[in-house]
Amino acid sequence: MTRKNRNVAIIGGGHNSLVSAAYLAKAGFNVELFEARSEVGGMASTKELIDGYKVPGVAHLLHQTDGKIHKSLQLNKHGLTFAASGLKTISINPNGNALIFDDDTVSGDDITMKEQEQYKEFRQTMKKLSGFFKKSYQAAPPRLGSEETKDMTSLMSLGWNLRSMGKDSMRQMLKYIAVNIHDVLNEFIDHEHMKGSIALDALLGNRLGPRTNNSVITFLHQLTGDPNGVQGSYAIPEGGMSSYSQALQKAAESAGVKIHTNSPVKQIDLNEENTIRGLVLESGETVNADIVVSGIDPRSTFMCLVGPKNLESHYVHKVSNIRMRGNTSKLHLALSGLPKFKGVDSDDLGHRIIHAPSMKYLELAHDHTKYGECSNQLPMEIIIPSIHDKSLAPKGHHVLSAVVNNTAYELKDGWDQSNSAVLESCLNQLEEMAPGIKKLVVHAELLSPKDIEDEYGITGGHWHHGELTFDQFLMLRPIPGMAQYKTPIESLYLCGAGSHPGGGLMGLAGRNAANEIISKES
Amino acid sequence: MLRQDHYKTSVYKTPFHERTSELNILNEWSRWKDYTVPTSYFRTDLEYFSVRNTTGVIDYTPMVKQKITGPDAAEFVNRFFTRDMNKIGIGRVGYVVWCDEAGQVIDDGTVFHIRENEYWLLCVERQLDNLENSAIGFDVKIEEITDDIACLGIQGPTSCSILKAIGFEGIEHLKPFDIKHYDFRGHEIIISRTGFSGDLGYEACMVNDAALDFWDALFDKGKIYGIQPFGLDALDLVRIEAGLLVPGHDFMVAEDAIRPGSTRSPFELGLSWLVDLSKPVFNGREALLEEKKKGSRYTFVKLNINGNKPAEGAYLYNQSGKKIGNVTSAMFSPSAKANIAYASLHDPWKKGKDKIIAEIYYQKDLEWNKVMEEATIVTKPFFDPDRRKTTPAELY
Repeated sequence: MTRKNRNVAIIGGGHNSLVSAAYLAKAGFNVELFEARSEVGGMASTKELIDGYKVPGVAHLLHQTDGKIHKSLQLNKHGLTFAASGLKTISINPNGNALIFDDDTVSGDDITMKEQEQYKEFRQTMKKLSGFFKKSYQAAPPRLGSEETKDMTSLMSLGWNLRSMGKDSMRQMLKYIAVNIHDVLNEFIDHEHMKGSIALDALLGNRLGPRTNNSVITFLHQLTGDPNGVQGSYAIPEGGMSSYSQALQKAAESAGVKIHTNSPVKQIDLNEENTIRGLVLESGETVNADIVVSGIDPRSTFMCLVGPKNLESHYVHKVSNIRMRGNTSKLHLALSGLPKFKGVDSDDLGHRIIHAPSMKYLELAHDHTKYGECSNQLPMEIIIPSIHDKSLAPKGHHVLSAVVNNTAYELKDGWDQSNSAVLESCLNQLEEMAPGIKKLVVHAELLSPKDIEDEYGITGGHWHHGELTFDQFLMLRPIPGMAQYKTPIESLYLCGAGSHPGGGLMGLAGRNAANEIISKES
Repeated sequence: MLRQDHYKTSVYKTPFHERTSELNILNEWSRWKDYTVPTSYFRTDLEYFSVRNTTGVIDYTPMVKQKITGPDAAEFVNRFFTRDMNKIGIGRVGYVVWCDEAGQVIDDGTVFHIRENEYWLLCVERQLDNLENSAIGFDVKIEEITDDIACLGIQGPTSCSILKAIGFEGIEHLKPFDIKHYDFRGHEIIISRTGFSGDLGYEACMVNDAALDFWDALFDKGKIYGIQPFGLDALDLVRIEAGLLVPGHDFMVAEDAIRPGSTRSPFELGLSWLVDLSKPVFNGREALLEEKKKGSRYTFVKLNINGNKPAEGAYLYNQSGKKIGNVTSAMFSPSAKANIAYASLHDPWKKGKDKIIAEIYYQKDLEWNKVMEEATIVTKPFFDPDRRKTTPAELY
C-alpha cells in the first residue's frame, strides 16, 4: 500500500497536531484532522475576552519554537511574522528597582559589574548545556534494551551528544542535571533579585519550587528554543498568538491536510482484534482511517478515547499515574489605559515583565501549592500584547495577559469556590506592582488549571500534558514503552506535548512523531 | 471482609479447627497465610492412601479467595486472565494463570463462575492489589472473602457416595468443573467437582457458621466409606501425581522473584493451553506474543526417573555433563509405581537429542550418597483414573 491511499486521522488541532499533519501530508499520506473547538491552535490562540478586547488564549509568547520546523514548513510564507522579537525581560521589584535582562546581559537594581559577569557566565553555561537537550529533542528517544539498529544508534548518539560537549560541559551536565535551580543559582550568582528572576523560568508551567530537584531540567528545557533565530529569546507573532497557529494551519492545508473544526472525537474506533478502524465523532459520524494520531494528552487518549478495557492493565495503571496536575493559571485584563509599573520605563511596557523578587518568594509560593493552598504572593509573567497589536483593544485601551504560577489544580476548597478570591488577590498583587491598575480594569478573568482543563480538554490543565520531570523525560515520556510515539494499539500514535520532548510551543513532538510514522507505516 | 485482629493471635484458627485439632494426633501444624492447618494428622502415607482408596478431607480455608462482582465482571476476568474466560460458563470452574506486563506468571488458581456477574478467584497469593489495579475502567467490585468462607476438599473414590449420603441430591451428575449450589441446614453450600487429587473429588465452600455442622455430617456419613482427614504433606503427594503446579515451588511468583530469569511465562510452564493469543487484549499479551516470536527460554517437563530415589531439587545434566535444568517437584509415586518429577529445562538441552540425567542425593544410615539416574519425558498424566471424568460419578 502506498502512502497516498493510507488515511491518517489526527485527533486535536493544537500546534503539535498541525505540525504532525503537515509533515505527514507532505510525505504523501492522506491526512484529516479533527478539532473539537471552532478553531485550531488549542492553547496557542487568540480569544475574545469581552466585546472589543482580545487576549492570547493561554500561551502568550513564542519562546521555544524550533527553527528547523519553522523553515521546513515555510511558516514565513504562510504568514508568520513577528510583531516583536528579542524581547527583554524586566523583573519588577516592589521597591521600584527593576532588573532588565537582555539576552546575556543584565542591568538595573544596583547590579555590580561582577554580578553582570556572573549572569553572563551562568547564561552561557546553561545555553551550552541546553544544547544537549536540543540535539536529543530532534528525534524519537531510543528504546532501552532494544537490539534494533535504530535504537542502538539513537542511544549511541545520545551518549555521543553528551561526550561531544567536552569534558567541562559533560561534568557540569552530570553535576547539575539532577539537582535544583536554587543550588545551581547560588553557585553562580549572588544577587537575590536576579536569582529569583532566573529561577522563575524553571518553574513557569510546572509544579516545582526552586528547591525542588529537577528544576534544572525544566530550566534547560525552556532554553532550547530559538524564535526568530535567537536561542532562549521571546517573540510575539504579528496578529496575536492565533496567527502562529494559523500559519501552521495554512502549512498543513497547503500540504493537503483536511481540517475539521467543531468535530470533537468521542472514541478511537477499534476492530475486534483491537486494531484501528478509525474514529467515532461526538456527532455520531464515523471516520475510517488506517492510522490514528492523537495530539491530545496521553491520559485522555487512553482513558477516554481508547478506553482502559482495550489496554493491558499495566498501561492503564501507568497512564493514570502520569503526573499532570496543572499549577498555572492565566489572568486576562481589559484595561482602559496603559498601566504604570513601578520602575519600568513606559517605553519598556511592551517587553516581558515578571514578578519573582527572590528565590525565597518562589519557594514560599510553592509551599502553599504543596498543601492545596494558593499564596497571596504569586509569581507572574506579564505581557501587554495590545502594545504590539492595536487590533486587540479599542483605541487607547489595552489588554494584559499574565501567567500566574503556583495556583494548584487541586485547590483545597475547589476552584468554583476560590476563583474569585484568587482573581482578587492577583489584582491586589498587581496593584502593588502597578499602582492604579485596578482603576483601569474594564474586565478581568482568571483561567484556573481547572478552566484550562475544561476549555482545552487537557487533563489537569497541565501545559506540558504531563510534568516535565526526570521520570517523565526522554525515553520515559509519557511512559516507558510509549516514548517512541508508538502505542500498544497498532497504528495508533501520540504526537502531543505528553510525548518527548514535551510542551512549550516547540512542535517537535509533532514532527518527531510524523517521522516515526513515516518510517513505520510506509 | 478480611479479619483485622491478626496482631492478637499471630495465626487464625479455621472454622474447622475444633475438629481438625481433635484429629491431629501428631499435633503438627503449618502456617498457611494467616492460618494454622495440620501438616500431617497421623501418618502422611496413610493419609495419602485414604485419598487414593477411599476419601480424604482437607481443610483449605486459608486458600486466598477473591470475589469479583459487577456488570463488567466477565469482561474484567477476560482481560485479567490469559485464557478465554467466555468459555467458562455460569456454574463452571476454570484453571487459570495470570501474568505481569512481562508475560511472567504471577500465580495460578481456579476461577469459579458462581452466577451471572460473579466470579470467585481461589489462589495461593493475595491478588487484591493486582485485581484492583486491573479494575480501572471496569464496573466491578473486588472483595477478598478468604476469612468469610470456609472450604473443604473432599477427594477420593468414595467422595461422591458420602456427599450423596448426606443428602446432596444429584451430586453424581456434576461433570468435572461443574458447580452446584445447595442448601445445607439453612446455609448455602457451593459444591464443585474440582480438587487437587487428580481423582474423583469435590470442593465445598460455605459460610463459616455452616462449617462444623458440615464437617460432622461428612464424618458421620463418611465413616463407612473410609473417610479420613489429610494434611498438607499428603496434599503435596497427590497434587504431584495429579500434575498440578504450586507457585513458589514449581515456579517463582513473578512478583516475588529477585533475580531476572527466575520467573516463568505460561509457555515455559507447559501451560500454552491456558493462553489464548487470539483474544485482542489481556495482561501480558504483548510480551507473550513477543515470546512466541523469539522463542521461550525454558521448557517444563514431567519426568520418569530411573531407580526409586526421589529427585527433589536435583540438578539435571545432558550426556556431556552440561547442566540443562533442575527438578522443581519430585516423589516416588505409589500409584504410578514410578519415580516421578517435574523439571524446568533450558539451553543447551535439545529436545529429542539430549539425554536427561538427574543428580540425586539420598541418605542411607546417616550417610549421603549420590546417584546419576537417567530420566525420560512423560507426556501423559502420572495418575488419571477414568473415574475422575466419568459422569454420573461412580457410587461405591
